[in-house]
Amino acid sequence: MSEVMTNEQKEAFVAKLRKEVGSTGTPSTARDPVNQPMIRHWCDAMEDANPLYTDPDAATQGPHGEIVAPPAMLNAWTMPGNIPRVNDPQDPASGVYAMLDEAGYVGVVATNSEHVYHRYLKLGDRLTGTVKLVDVTEEKQTALGIGHFVTTETEYLNQHGEHVGSMFFRILKFRPGTGRTASTGGDGDSGAERPPRPRPSRNQDTDFFWQGSRVGELRIQECQNCGYLQHPPGTRCPACGSTDMGYITASGKGTLYSYVVSHHPRVPSFDYPLNIGLVELEEGVRLVTNITDCDPGQLKVGMPLQAWHMQTHEDVSLPVFRPARIPRNPSTLTFDEVSVGDKLPLCPIPLTPTLIVSTAIASRDYQDVHHDRDMALKKGSEDIFMNILTSSGLSARYISDWAGPDAVFKNLKIRLGAPNYPYDCMTMSGSVTAKREADGEDIVEVSFRGQNSRGPHVTGTVDLALPRA
Amino acid sequence: MTLKYAYHSAIAGIGATPFTKDSGRTPMDQAVEACLAACEDAGLPPEKVNGFVTYSAEQNPEIELARNLGVEEMTHFSMVHHGGGAACGVIAVACQAIYSGAADYVLCYRAFNERSWHRFGAGVQDRPAGAEASEVSFSWSSPFGLVTPASWVAMFATRYMHEYGATTEDFGRVSVVDRAFAATNPYAHFFQRPITLEDHQNSRWIVEPLRLLDCCQETDGAQALLVTTAERAKDLRQKPAVIASAAQGAAEDQHMMRSYYRDSITGIPEMGLCARQLYQSSGLSADDIQTAIIYDHFTPLVLPQLEEFGFCDRGEAKDFIRDGHLQRDGRLPINTNGGQLGEAYIHGLNGIAEGVRQIRGTSVNQIENVENVLATAGTAVPTSALILSQPQ
Repeated sequence: MSEVMTNEQKEAFVAKLRKEVGSTGTPSTARDPVNQPMIRHWCDAMEDANPLYTDPDAATQGPHGEIVAPPAMLNAWTMPGNIPRVNDPQDPASGVYAMLDEAGYVGVVATNSEHVYHRYLKLGDRLTGTVKLVDVTEEKQTALGIGHFVTTETEYLNQHGEHVGSMFFRILKFRPGTGRTASTGGDGDSGAERPPRPRPSRNQDTDFFWQGSRVGELRIQECQNCGYLQHPPGTRCPACGSTDMGYITASGKGTLYSYVVSHHPRVPSFDYPLNIGLVELEEGVRLVTNITDCDPGQLKVGMPLQAWHMQTHEDVSLPVFRPARIPRNPSTLTFDEVSVGDKLPLCPIPLTPTLIVSTAIASRDYQDVHHDRDMALKKGSEDIFMNILTSSGLSARYISDWAGPDAVFKNLKIRLGAPNYPYDCMTMSGSVTAKREADGEDIVEVSFRGQNSRGPHVTGTVDLALPRA
Repeated sequence: MTLKYAYHSAIAGIGATPFTKDSGRTPMDQAVEACLAACEDAGLPPEKVNGFVTYSAEQNPEIELARNLGVEEMTHFSMVHHGGGAACGVIAVACQAIYSGAADYVLCYRAFNERSWHRFGAGVQDRPAGAEASEVSFSWSSPFGLVTPASWVAMFATRYMHEYGATTEDFGRVSVVDRAFAATNPYAHFFQRPITLEDHQNSRWIVEPLRLLDCCQETDGAQALLVTTAERAKDLRQKPAVIASAAQGAAEDQHMMRSYYRDSITGIPEMGLCARQLYQSSGLSADDIQTAIIYDHFTPLVLPQLEEFGFCDRGEAKDFIRDGHLQRDGRLPINTNGGQLGEAYIHGLNGIAEGVRQIRGTSVNQIENVENVLATAGTAVPTSALILSQPQ
């Protein structure tokens, strides 16, 4: 098919794509039953430590009475894995994907996933999914490129024919290279035209600090005689008068002592509004730094923070801070303990290549764009990017770490925006948006968002059943 | 330790150029005009001046100024450190020079085009540069974008709000007071342009929690003050504004604008040090002060200054302000010239001139029965303060 179609050809093409809308494919049965190794692999990659998924003793005490699979794994069980894709002539969705590939819409991103969970999956359960083609849109211009959205709905049954869940799923198939010019965004030091930040100058009294920062250590001057810590460094201990000065490597844990949000005047080296914090380290000294990976409105005196090192020049890294990950809640919130308007603590998720690749594989998503940079570039992406099942899994982990292990997910609905590329950070935030009783269960609705430096990566809602007090 | 020069000297003359946004003249030309005006105000021939004191960031050398004024011999000349923090420090040093006999008539001055030439509010984007301690100190803030005076002050303000429950409205009330006085001062940039608290709250963010209307102006202009002994001042043209005392202060773990590392950052210990010296050497207390010039480069640091001088308890400045005590009819009307937010930002010297007018009884916003006026200098830097009194 030619690269540029006339309007008539487009209409004919869309009609062809839509021919099978409403029809259902052949039921596809998972190759393996629900099993502990795959669950463990998922939990490892997602850093999800909910014991109900892996610890038989804890699971016995839990609401399900035995080990269950993380609910967000729902569609991982029936993923095809890394085997050559043979188009199932009976599957209307794969037929549409093939037509789009052939027409040059080879780029693919998932945009929506809405899981509904009727019952949690237990070890040994064998899932069967049946896909229905729900919709194919006409051609649309999106930020990524010109393409078509394809929507499917999958019903999942277990080996007893019981309805365990469903998934509403939408992807965009697009022509690489036809996107709107990507906005720069991101941290201040990546823009091509942007001058570098003011370079820290150093001398013999302060060099240890910047050498440390370069290798990822936050070094604080320590008097070798009396142990007094001070920042900024000096030449002599103000406590005992010793000139024998060394340093300690701080843990990087601290709290926000004060902060400002700078708007004007705008220095070209920085992005505005700019979060600048005065952080009190757990060792007791303070330093001026940037608070990254959170919105100005999320800054709060006292908030826990964790250091990281931002490279700003070839030979300079700056110690900066982001919200600290809050430890998992080992007990479970009760329905009465939760109020509408409650805010969930912020949670940063550093987007390492390891996270992106290992979670894609743990969710059995072998699409090359999630692990192969060359192929990702070829398909119109800036880099490899996180797969949607991982966005669901990390959202679920965030919610579960706040609510506690016994919270039961009734659904999980997410919509994706800015892609999660490596070396960025996604910060999760959320709040309780509704409480209700439904079918004898106490349901709490939580709305959440995962924001990276380009904007919101994931927004969504979840209904949780919480125990009564 | 006590200051021996209490009540010894007086401000005998004040002089200023118009305060503008674009003078179209050199700062030196304006410095000369202000100094001549101060001498004229006092009725002193300028060639009698034999001392000059200015403060850092001043770019008009006293030797050139002396040449332009026709001063032939100088026996005292000094530059006090730390910019606006030295506004009262120049007076203190002049007092010391006069008390010691090093000089008879001392001009203290400030002149610049901080709006039309290099904008003062732009901060230190070009620093750090070298390896000297003064430059290296910026390495702890500039690489993170904390480069402007507004941002340095804002860091104190957030913590103050957190600890004491002050709000940006409390900062706004200071701004409203200043602008109300400016509105009736024909010399003020904001003459006839008062603001409401709503205007303040609607003004744009500069550096949260500071809004545009929390920040002083940038001004082109010059101000000069002539200091001599209280005795000699009696023979000059104006009623002397006796310098009851003038003091400087820098406190433990002091940094330039960024003393963020102390146990507490909600007070201003260097200003407390000035207050102790002033009260001790003059025998006066907060109860003896009828009006004050409280340094207002940025509104938030007006609050802890009121606390350091004992006009209210720590953390209670917000209540003092909410009760209207800084207004025209309040317990302590402040910045009756309109302050640096309303009149002009001549790094504190224009405020001291207003203190002199309050002693003389010639302010356009004259407060009744003024016996003593407090004036303070730039905060967050090593600072200074003084008390002016009626001649005995």
